[in-house]
Amino acid sequence: MDKVKLAVYWAGACGGCDIAIVELGEHLLELAQVADIVFWPCAMDFKLADVEAMSDGYIDITLFNGSIRTDEDLHVAKLLRSRSRALIAFGSCATEGCVPGLSNVRGSDYALERAYLEAPGTENTQGMLPGRASNLPDSLHLPGLRPQVRALQDVVTVDAFVRGCPPNYEQVWKAINQLLTEGLPRSGERLLGVDPRSLCDQCPRVRIGKIRVPRFKRIHEAIPDSEQCFLEQGFICAGPATHAGCSAACIKANMPCRGCYGPPEGVRDQGSAILDAVVAGFAGQNDAAIQEALASIVDPIGTFYRYSYAVSLLNQLAEHRNAQPEAVAVHAEPKR
Amino acid sequence: MIRLSQADHTFIEQIMAEPGGENLLTCWSCGTCAATCLVRRFDSSFNPRLTLHQAGLGLRGLVLSSSEIWQCSACDACYPRCPRQIHISEVMGAIRSVAIREGFHSPGPSALVDEQVCSGCAVCTRVCPYEAIDRVALGEHMVAHVNADKCMHCGICMASCPSGAITLDTFSDTELVSRMFADGWLGQPGYLDGGSTIPRILVFVCQWSVRTDAELQRVYNLGSQVRVVNLPCSGRVDPAMILTALNDGADGVLLAGCQEGECHYKRGTLLGRSKVGLLRALLAQAGIAQERLAFVELGAFDRYVLSGLVQKMLHSIESLVAAAVLE
Ligand code: SF4
Ligand code: SF4
Ligand code: SF4
Ligand code: SF4
Repeated sequence: MDKVKLAVYWAGACGGCDIAIVELGEHLLELAQVADIVFWPCAMDFKLADVEAMSDGYIDITLFNGSIRTDEDLHVAKLLRSRSRALIAFGSCATEGCVPGLSNVRGSDYALERAYLEAPGTENTQGMLPGRASNLPDSLHLPGLRPQVRALQDVVTVDAFVRGCPPNYEQVWKAINQLLTEGLPRSGERLLGVDPRSLCDQCPRVRIGKIRVPRFKRIHEAIPDSEQCFLEQGFICAGPATHAGCSAACIKANMPCRGCYGPPEGVRDQGSAILDAVVAGFAGQNDAAIQEALASIVDPIGTFYRYSYAVSLLNQLAEHRNAQPEAVAVHAEPKR
Repeated sequence: MIRLSQADHTFIEQIMAEPGGENLLTCWSCGTCAATCLVRRFDSSFNPRLTLHQAGLGLRGLVLSSSEIWQCSACDACYPRCPRQIHISEVMGAIRSVAIREGFHSPGPSALVDEQVCSGCAVCTRVCPYEAIDRVALGEHMVAHVNADKCMHCGICMASCPSGAITLDTFSDTELVSRMFADGWLGQPGYLDGGSTIPRILVFVCQWSVRTDAELQRVYNLGSQVRVVNLPCSGRVDPAMILTALNDGADGVLLAGCQEGECHYKRGTLLGRSKVGLLRALLAQAGIAQERLAFVELGAFDRYVLSGLVQKMLHSIESLVAAAVLE
């Protein structure tokens, strides 16, 4: 049997997804028996020109990690789409924009200024800003930042998804085996390497079930008990609105879930679902108490949409707003 | 006609032995509770005075088999008004306890959990105002289970379940979404998107917070600028529905619910305003005008205020555009 041709790519990502593949350890040897790696810039010496030279559909499976952050990310996403029979969004960035997607809240220009001019410890006396397409000496080209971070399926057709920031390596192995044995998926057909239901199903913590809390604490403000449900202790936990698959890794390290495995099946907007789970546990019996609980939630977008902002209903709405000025000037006169 | 032979004194004793049932016989039958009770707005056959009276006469079969004993939501609107200071919802609760012991059940409808989807997260067990939900073992999983006799079909758990595992026959998600979108009201560019020439707002109304049809009629009179979608409770609102409406052409969303302390389902209004409060914080952080979403409360003594509040929101949305043009 011919070996499967496998590619791995990283776009706007931290590198954790590649580590998750390296973490396969000995399984990599098994993988090498059945698959040839034809492109994996993070780990092996391949160049983009190698992919450009391939014919369409040459690659069987591409595991694409990272968000679409720069013009180059977009270019490579389109290129790999055409060269691959199955394109898999691998990890939270490719699936839903992840933490890079949070920069959509203030936009790319602000992100650059913050990182290269304002951030504590930054010394940039000439005020140089990268991020705009530029040609440098020795025919080096720096790609520009896209105005908004996108998930992979928002720019090309995706065949299947592997969730997680990064995906748990056991699930990665499971996903790869599913791909190798069950045939290649077609356009968004499958979530690979997840378990049924939401994380709480796998969480070992005790839930009394009737405990409501007056306000929420952030994790650095107190040491959580290691046995009791975080929500019932007043720490925000995204477990109820997060797909199972990570085997409760954070929970076991006494850290609340922040939602990197994305929403449960059929749920469109993860942030709304986390919000629901949190509000359900408010103890307040009057408006003043409710205000106190609301005020205890610092950085609501970062709390509810940490991984999914780029694909959220909220980001969609904010983009409408940015597109609005010329359009509304037509009927500027207030009507009564 | 009531025959003395039907009277069963042990029934009275049973009720009075239950916590909250002690005051059964102090009722004067003045009917103040019936005059106050909101359930009667939708079901005129419900009459707490009559139920107390029949129970006080010991009419076991009649009372236990009636559907009325399951309808009191324990809102306690009648309690402060009863001249005999009878905690009527507690007496109703005592009668229900006797009924359950004797094998009677609430006619429903009640919330239903899809055990194949439920993760046992316990969000619903926390949110239910009636503590009607518990987690039970199902094979190696723990899943939510609704006690149908305690469920008041407020729909709050259905909105809260982060997995979408709960359904209820009344005010289902499909029903609400189809009412939001009906006749193409949503799914077209709104005023703020440069589509409609006038602002359009979606008004979710808790059906109990509006005391008369005339109040609602004044909102309907505002025409197609306003789409009214009734809810069983303001706590039934789902944040994803609000964001969907704003994305699909509604310029604003108004959620109307009961005044603090007057909620028909105990804490529903607090959940409704909490969701709106958090969503408004999210809008602000995302740079979207907060004027586009508001919670308004309607008190038991408010008359004809809703249409004014709706108009106020319409105007504030117009001012948004005026301000954007001046910038
Ligand atoms: S909310 Fe978090 S801590 Fe509580 S059961 Fe779910 S995953 Fe576990
Ligand atoms: S407590 Fe509320 S629902 Fe029950 S009888 Fe009194 S007014 Fe009616
Ligand atoms: S909220 Fe939903 S998933 Fe969680 S326990 Fe209740 S029914 Fe199950
Ligand atoms: S519908 Fe309301 S009363 Fe019934 S179980 Fe759900 S939250 Fe409780």
